[in-house]
Amino acid sequence: MREILPVPSPGLDLRHHYGHHQSPAIRAGGLIFCSGMVAVNPETGEREHGTLTSEARRIFENLKLLLESAGSSLDRLVQVHAMIYDRIEYDVLNRLYRQYVPNAPPARTVMSVQIEAGFKVMLDVIAAA
Amino acid sequence: MTGQLSRTVIEPTNPRLNVSRNANLPHSPGIRVGEYIFLSGMGPVDPATGGRNLGPIADQIRQTLRNMEHMLASAGSGLDRIVKINVVLADIQDYDEMNRVWREFFPVDPPARTTCALQLSNGNGVEIECIALSL
Amino acid sequence: MALQRDVIAPKDPAVDMSPNLNLPLSPAIQAGEFIFVSGMVAIDATGERMHGTVAAETRQILAAMARVLELAGSSLAKAVKVNVLIYSMLEYNNMNEVYREFFPVDPPARTVCGAKLCGGSKVEIECVALA
Repeated sequence: MREILPVPSPGLDLRHHYGHHQSPAIRAGGLIFCSGMVAVNPETGEREHGTLTSEARRIFENLKLLLESAGSSLDRLVQVHAMIYDRIEYDVLNRLYRQYVPNAPPARTVMSVQIEAGFKVMLDVIAAA
Repeated sequence: MTGQLSRTVIEPTNPRLNVSRNANLPHSPGIRVGEYIFLSGMGPVDPATGGRNLGPIADQIRQTLRNMEHMLASAGSGLDRIVKINVVLADIQDYDEMNRVWREFFPVDPPARTTCALQLSNGNGVEIECIALSL
Repeated sequence: MALQRDVIAPKDPAVDMSPNLNLPLSPAIQAGEFIFVSGMVAIDATGERMHGTVAAETRQILAAMARVLELAGSSLAKAVKVNVLIYSMLEYNNMNEVYREFFPVDPPARTVCGAKLCGGSKVEIECVALA
């Protein structure tokens, strides 16, 4: 059975705000698969471009909201694709990142890719339900 | 509703392959959740020294896959239990060479795979991550 | 008890290019409740890469992906997560407009990003689906 998870806060539904044809998160087989999370305001859905740090902070806060509303948490993350716009910001990413997953962090691969709307960072995550 | 799946950290038996710890990076080498194992991206680390083993791409790929084999064995799994593997190359032109080496490690029933080219760090020519089944 | 790992091999060159190009990958693997599908690019009826517009490539890929999943007793409707790699994010809308045709209700979670793809393909799509 796959379950579309309702968003805890309307700004997190990028399909509604931007026409991205995706559900924000799906639970199936004991795991939660999240759509790539970017720095949007969780209430309004407005894009919040900033530094890599400010965007990553917003992303983690959004993921926290989303996962906790589904009975999971950042501690239950199992895999992260940390997508950054340029590998030069690798250390900057890490400084922020470790604040949110300080213990037993998930498996991760950092990928420097082109991200939508000129964002500097996007987190593509799978969590245990 | 069934209980939550257990989630545990996987570490390599050879500490020199524990890049997460040695480079003080915010990831675990791998996570086991239920029957699945998710490994962090791995590169051509020298298992004897912990340093990087750069050189021809074929050798980098071989080293990375040998390291992955060790990581999975440390978790009670193996290369033949990988279900999905993602390969990132620094240079997309290395794709054919990568395929040649690949068969040495996955001769039968190879995993599902996606390959693309992205910027990598430290002069690495390849980074590989995977999802595997525990034994 | 260990989960079983089964190869899904369509044996139809229009859907699976790996035999034609002698690629060492399985088009999909079923393991427990999930099916993991390899990244797919647009191919023609003989299993050769098909180069076209982003829209045309997206359409061909998703039609072929539907067939791979159906072979495993699954379907696009059971996809839980899709990853789309595109050669340039400028073409996002061209991909998205075709994509929505294939997932009319409750689309899977998805991540789209721009990356360099093999063989000059403009789009590559992989997914995880429920068996």
